[in-house]
Amino acid sequence: MNVLTFFDTAPDEVDAPSVDDVQALAEDVWMALVGEDEVLVPRMVPPRTPFDATGVWSSSVTVSGGWAGVVTVELDEGVAQQLSARMLALPDDEPVTDGDIADAVGELVNMVGGNVKSLMPGPSVLSLPAVAAGRAAFASDVTEVCRLDLAWRGGPVRICIHVPS
Amino acid sequence: MRAMIIDDSRAMRSILRRIVTGLDFETTEAEHGQAALDQMNAGVVPDVCLVDWNMPVMDGYTFITQVRANPEWRDVTLMMVTTESEQRQIVRALAAGAHEYVIKPFTADAIEEKLELLGLLGADREVPA
Amino acid sequence: MTDPSAFASVSALVRRETSMVYDEGKEYLVEARLTPLANAKGLGLEEYVARLAFDAEERRKVIDALTINETSWFRDHTPYQAFTEAMLPALLEERSTTRRLRVWSAACSSGQEAYSIAMLLDQHLPGGWEYEIVCTDISTQMLERVRAGRYSQVEVNRGLPATSLVRYFTRVGREWEIADRLRERITVKHLNLAAPFPMLGTFDVIWLRNVLIYFDATTKADILRRMLPMLSPDGYLLLGSSETTLDLPADLAASWQRDQIGRVPAYRRASAMTLSRTGA
Repeated sequence: MNVLTFFDTAPDEVDAPSVDDVQALAEDVWMALVGEDEVLVPRMVPPRTPFDATGVWSSSVTVSGGWAGVVTVELDEGVAQQLSARMLALPDDEPVTDGDIADAVGELVNMVGGNVKSLMPGPSVLSLPAVAAGRAAFASDVTEVCRLDLAWRGGPVRICIHVPS
Repeated sequence: MRAMIIDDSRAMRSILRRIVTGLDFETTEAEHGQAALDQMNAGVVPDVCLVDWNMPVMDGYTFITQVRANPEWRDVTLMMVTTESEQRQIVRALAAGAHEYVIKPFTADAIEEKLELLGLLGADREVPA
Repeated sequence: MTDPSAFASVSALVRRETSMVYDEGKEYLVEARLTPLANAKGLGLEEYVARLAFDAEERRKVIDALTINETSWFRDHTPYQAFTEAMLPALLEERSTTRRLRVWSAACSSGQEAYSIAMLLDQHLPGGWEYEIVCTDISTQMLERVRAGRYSQVEVNRGLPATSLVRYFTRVGREWEIADRLRERITVKHLNLAAPFPMLGTFDVIWLRNVLIYFDATTKADILRRMLPMLSPDGYLLLGSSETTLDLPADLAASWQRDQIGRVPAYRRASAMTLSRTGA
């Protein structure tokens, strides 16, 4: 036995928060934004499955400084619309616009990303959020270090964290 | 009682507005620290400011130092509402003159209890259980 | 939850173990918090709840899932204010030779009451004074939480002044841990109020808030009878803000007197000098 294995740290120990931490913070964020009516529940998805909703909104923030990474939230279109209507207290008969979704989902990813940032070594800064229609695509020079698949009111939600390779 | 909500996020302003309106506050809003100072300089001085940290043009930390530097605004209560939750950040904000600090995500109860701590809710209100 | 009897049984479990009340209107919360636990066991929700009667470990997880984030620091404010402004000055005078205070948090739950008291004592006790806070609860799981002294980010947002957060807690991941110098002053013991008390010594202040209401009149009187000798002759018993009268049988009523401290009713042993009479 190689004596050096005693001092091996798990490869992802410093690079990313644990899935449990991200789950806990996602639940807290969701509860704060939509109340307790319907909660986030875990969803079993095989690894390396692309986000599988039919209509998708995606959003991301970048953390740089003491730790570098990208936090992405992908939402089923229906989830994005309902979440936005809830957060902005839009009347039921009013259609949810792209601007509404950009504002609401932007705040969502800002809050998730801000909480991820606080778990990692600092000091660091959070970029402004970016929101787009369609699922997220990741360049070849980043590696996924955390992925959480959830559902809200039956609609898929995915939170993932990528770091520079 | 008047509250000023200072956050660059329209969604967060919407959420906070609903919470404090439900507590019988009148509200005004600003998208960043400079816009908030402009309002105050124009005579719209709130009893309490709910301030985000990270905003363009002027961030919440700078806003707080500016308010505390003005003796005319000595009675304005300053409450930070932010995702920044590192211990050193909270200490910095309090040292700069913030009276209270709420970490996002927060619940409506949390905001209400902090306002109560600050003595900003009616004196003969029933204390929440 | 579709099955009202399943909800009722969970509600009863929580009340028994923690004194927290989950009444109608909170079914969605129970369902939300328990569904992941049921899923982890591969069971439907009603089936999972039915098995709780036989599974102590799952009961523990249910309690944990339902009570986290639900309480706050310095709950109701006024008793803590009365403690600092009236009871403590009186006790500082009366204990000036021993310079030691003992407090009992008699249904301590996760420890927020006890640590709130500890923070106040840390701030207000003069140098050279010692204090001990004995925390008891029927739930061993709650006692573990008190020992650990760790609270979630959501929990520390509730009613805790930010200055106290940074002064008395250290952030550990997403949680905040109470300072060792406060944790060292806490003694944790398992105790069922309805059963004989172990030897705990006597106390200057007993906090018995929001728990007597769950006992019937006979048990309540019995608890108060057994608590009487545990309170020092000039000590204080504090109940919950909505528990305004003790409604005791005559013989017991004669042993306790009510002393109104501002908006807070405190109970003293009948021989004690009341603060309201001394004008303190």
